[in-house]
This record gives sequence, C-alpha cells and structure tokens, in this order.
Amino acid sequence: MNIQHTDLAAEYLREVDQRLAGLPVLQRRELLADLRAHIETERVERNLSEGELIEVLERLGSPEVIAAAAHEEAAVQGRPYGGPSPAADGGAYGWPSGSVDAGVYGWPSPPINAAAPRKSDGPRRFWLIALAAVAVLFAGFLLMGALFVARSDAPAINQEQPAQMAPPLEPPDPTLGR
Amino acid sequence: MADVAQLSTSLRRGTLEFCVLAMVEDEDRYGTEIVRRFGEEPNLAASEGTIYPLLSRLRRAGWLDSKWAESPTGPPRRYYSLTGTGRSALEHFRTEWVSFRQTVDRLVGTSEAT
Repeated sequence: MNIQHTDLAAEYLREVDQRLAGLPVLQRRELLADLRAHIETERVERNLSEGELIEVLERLGSPEVIAAAAHEEAAVQGRPYGGPSPAADGGAYGWPSGSVDAGVYGWPSPPINAAAPRKSDGPRRFWLIALAAVAVLFAGFLLMGALFVARSDAPAINQEQPAQMAPPLEPPDPTLGR
Repeated sequence: MADVAQLSTSLRRGTLEFCVLAMVEDEDRYGTEIVRRFGEEPNLAASEGTIYPLLSRLRRAGWLDSKWAESPTGPPRRYYSLTGTGRSALEHFRTEWVSFRQTVDRLVGTSEAT
C-alpha cells in the first residue's frame, strides 16, 4: 500500500515537473520540494488511505493548473512597493536539512529576467534601422558614382573622383551603437 | 459558470497574497498549514497547490522569509515568516483596501449604509 502511495505521488509530481519546463531550475526544484513535503505531511500526519491520498492530490489541483500558476508567478515582476532587494532575493532559499538551525541556505536565486528578451528588442531594431540606413546611403553612393563615371570623358583618371564628389558616407549615429 | 470562475480568479489576483501575508503576521506557519487554512475557505483557492508558487514569489520579493525545520510528527516543514518589507506591504494594503472597498461598494451599490 505504501508503494502504491509513493507511486501515485511520484507520478503526480512527475506530471507537474514535465509542465515546468522553462522555469528557472531553482524555482522548479523549490515547487517540487514544497509539493512533495505537502503530500508527505498529509500522508504521515493523517495516516491516509489511498483514496484519501487521491483526495489530497485533487485538492492540490491538476498538474496543469499548478504549472500554469507557477509560470504566472514566475513572470510577475516589479513589485508595487519596489522590486525585490537583492539580499532578500538571494538569501532565503532553503532545503530540508537535518537540524533546525541549519535550515536556511544562502542559495543565490537564478536571475529572473522574463522582461529581458523584450527589452533587447529595442536595440536590435535600432541596429536594423541603422544597417538599413547605411545600406541605402551606400547604394546611393554607388549609383551616383556609376552615373558620374558613365558621364565622365576620362574614366581612367577619374576613377577615384566619384568618391570625392559623392556625399561622404555617414557613420552610424553614435547614440544608436551603444 | 466560466464567467463566475473568471471573476473570482480576477478578484483573487492581487488580494490573495495579502491574505497569505496576514496569515503569518503574528506567528510563523509552515506551508501545509497555510494551504490547509486556505482550503477551508470556499472562495480563496480552488487548487491548493497554486499557493506554493505564490509563496515562492512572495519569498523572492522579499516579503516572506522561509526556513526548513524538523517536525515531530512527519517530514521537515518549511516555515514562513513575515519580513519587515512584507509587514509594511501588508500595512499599506490594509489602508488601500479599505478605501478601495468603500469606493467599489458605493459604485456598485453594495454599501450597507445605503
């Protein structure tokens, strides 16, 4: 019976874990440890039958619902009262351990940068625009050079002249380029 | 029915976390204890397991602290306590909530005074 219990709980936790892909690894482990401790606490303290264990799992919610909540909470950034302080963020990660006092480990939390990929869109777009501008300038330069050469009566001597006549190739705006 | 569920989800968002903070205001509590307490309330958390990601976020935000401790009866328990920042956040919410509630009551006509 105990083995069935373990199987049922393990299967449930595996189902949750499979849906946590993409979450920072420490948050993923934390949630699984919390759920495992919850199930184990209920099982031991209430001496559950298998049917009652199923009930505990049902009350916890489907793996889909829990994983969805985990992803949602992981994405929540920018607390209304100022962001998390670095010290608080890194200091409190705990694992079960043998003694009460050793229960707090200073695990550095993973950097949570859900917003970062979106932020980097800006500079990337600027670069595209800058590149396009340079390409257009360069094409114009070539075109003018070609026209000049075509009209010129002395092509051999004036080969370098188009460069002098054409507008200088503007360097990309320094503010665009970090 | 879907609309009803959606409404309570929306109402929970932004308020449930303060119910969690209030629960550990006076004494530290362990995860299962907090979850059981919420399980007794019909409107708060349809799926008890979703409380754990919430606790995780509040810890990452620096509002809660947690530490694992041995239990006399079962597996180790993870105790949560309110930090100083969490305490100020809870106080701030209380002030905001009262005026917010009064405004909504007035506007939707649920105020008892009328």
